[in-house]
Amino acid sequence: MSDVMSLLVGQIVQNRELVPRYFFLMSVKLPESLATPLPGQFVMVRVRDRRDLLLGRPFSIYAFARDKTAPVIELLYRTTGRGTIALSRLKSGEYLEILGPLGHGFDIFPEMKKIVLLAGGIGVVPLSFLASHYRKLPINDRLRIIAYLGAKSADHIVGMDRLQETCTDVKISTDDGSSGYHGFVTELLADDMESYLHGDSVIYACGPPAMMKRLAKLLGDRPISCQVSVEERMACGVGACLGCAIHVKAVGDKTRYRRACQDGPIFDIREIIWN
Amino acid sequence: MKSKTEQINNSEPVVAVDIGGLILKNPVMTASGTFGYGKEYAPYIDLNRLGALIVKGLSLEPRKGNPPPRIMETPCGMLNAIGMENVGVRAFIDEKLPFLRPFDVAIIANIFGETIDEYKKIAAILSAAEGVHGLEINISCPNVKKGGIAFGAHPDTAYEVTGGVKSLTDLPVIVKLTPNAGDIAEIAESVEAAGADAVSLINTLTGMSVDVEQRVPHLKNITGGLSGPAIRPIALSMVWEVVKRVSIPVIGVGGIMDANDVLEFLIVGARAVQIGTASFINPRATLDILEGIDNYLKRHHITDINDLIGTLRDGCPTS
Ligand SMILES: Cc1cc2nc3c(=O)[nH]c(=O)nc-3n(C[C@H](O)[C@H](O)[C@H](O)COP(=O)(O)OP(=O)(O)OC[C@H]3O[C@@H](n4cnc5c(N)ncnc54)[C@H](O)[C@@H]3O)c2cc1C
Ligand SMILES: Cc1cc2nc3c(=O)[nH]c(=O)nc-3n(C[C@H](O)[C@H](O)[C@H](O)COP(=O)(O)O)c2cc1C
Ligand code: FES
Repeated sequence: MSDVMSLLVGQIVQNRELVPRYFFLMSVKLPESLATPLPGQFVMVRVRDRRDLLLGRPFSIYAFARDKTAPVIELLYRTTGRGTIALSRLKSGEYLEILGPLGHGFDIFPEMKKIVLLAGGIGVVPLSFLASHYRKLPINDRLRIIAYLGAKSADHIVGMDRLQETCTDVKISTDDGSSGYHGFVTELLADDMESYLHGDSVIYACGPPAMMKRLAKLLGDRPISCQVSVEERMACGVGACLGCAIHVKAVGDKTRYRRACQDGPIFDIREIIWN
Repeated sequence: MKSKTEQINNSEPVVAVDIGGLILKNPVMTASGTFGYGKEYAPYIDLNRLGALIVKGLSLEPRKGNPPPRIMETPCGMLNAIGMENVGVRAFIDEKLPFLRPFDVAIIANIFGETIDEYKKIAAILSAAEGVHGLEINISCPNVKKGGIAFGAHPDTAYEVTGGVKSLTDLPVIVKLTPNAGDIAEIAESVEAAGADAVSLINTLTGMSVDVEQRVPHLKNITGGLSGPAIRPIALSMVWEVVKRVSIPVIGVGGIMDANDVLEFLIVGARAVQIGTASFINPRATLDILEGIDNYLKRHHITDINDLIGTLRDGCPTS
């Protein structure tokens, strides 16, 4: 048996501040051996030689290209704590440890006509990659991709530029009304919900737990399938530590835990118990 | 032509060790709970190259585990409160063991019970299964209300569990000790007297971490077990302490990240080591470590790793 996958060393091509001290866009050049990532998959990222920052941080893949020289992945991240702040300070040319791509990607439904994306804040990351993936399929001509993008305020909207390239329509909501609809992004989706219930649409979502919970409630048992990308703290990223437990329904009234990293991070929204 | 000494220097050093009758290819094992059931890391490393593979702790019945969040990073370490989630010993044999059997590696089942009777039942079931080469009794898990540490914190109960399991199995039995007990060496002596073939130490140290903005613990379980490089000096001193008090092999566990860390444990007297949290950071940590040990042995002209074990010298480093 040979070693198939391994921890990779990536080199930062660029690490750009999109919203000062908040959102950063990073592209990383990786060795040829990187497996082609699918939309929804993630990588564990570690700052090298930092034992104080022991664990890798999980990040969804924002974009991927295999150019002439090497595979390059893009990450879009928000600085929230020690790890992401340390990442934001790295300069192009510096190195990172990357494990992945990990987990399962979103299911792709080539027979659908409407792809509905619901993103809360940084949740736009895997959905944007998904939209560009759908655009590359042969069904592209008849495909409508509608994105609903929610943010705290106008200056916290991120990922718009890419979505405008790939989506038929991008609808914005902000919590404070500084841009687009004033209110929750799920309310914006609720207004259009009827039009998606004809068996030709599928919803993909990623966002904070409160948004996911509202979405789960909105959907109830309406006839439309919905896949979500979930977040939980991770140590290994490969299914070994059982740290990333997601509470899901099991047979009968039973419930159980599944691993966000290996069984997800993509789940059917109706499988998850939101509390 | 090469001279005779050169030939010796270039030949591969012997790295096999004997753990209570279980001969391991090399002293590097995976620590329970940090390597899944083996399969999870098979895409990353050749399992055949491990000294031993210790699987996630098994209980008599499947266990659901604790509600999340279950883990939190702390400086140079992590807290976990998984709550012994596992498939149960029968599903392990039916669903997990068949994958492991074809590998040429010692499989050690880590077992956990809420009562002494449960430990004995699990031991009996595993002893009848083909493909299990040893048992590691976990009397040191800090994350469950019943069992685990309740047995490991007192010499008498530790003795009873060990004796109970030994009476039901012919497999080599390793007893995994907790650093959360008063005197770990006293527990070690007690399980040796009960017939343990080896002891492993340490399991995680009880720890805690709080989100100060919201004033809530980071873990749903409130406390968890600390692992990773933060605990290594503690583990090392405990191994050193225990080695002086027992004559059975001692297996060093706790915060090992690289070959240098392993060598520290071997020099103070550990016969073998377990790699835990390091595998999360680098799935290939165990094999990188093996290569590092090999280099060290060659550099120091040591032809058999057993000649290095317990060779701590007096004094301090000179420059
Ligand atoms: C599958 C997946 C994909 C993700 N994709 C993105 C993305 O594309 N962009 C982005 O900005 N963020 C993403 N996140 C969240 C990101 O992992 C966290 O923001 C990051 O780990 C925070 O690290 P920190 O050291 O800055 O924060 P700290 O709070 O200091 O981190 C402490 C520990 O908690 C963990 N942690 C904290 N918040 C989260 C969280 N929300 N999810 C998981 N672990 C967390 C950290 O990894 C670390 O181990 C994703 C999470 C998951 C699980
Ligand atoms: C996520 C996690 C799960 C663990 N599960 C078990 C277990 O099931 N049984 C056990 O005996 N030890 C368990 N341990 C303890 C480890 O085997 C080891 O003793 C400890 O982590 C210290 O080693 P390390 O610092 O190298 O990780 C677990 C540790 C971690 C981090
Ligand atoms: S992060 Fe270890 S099992 Fe998911």
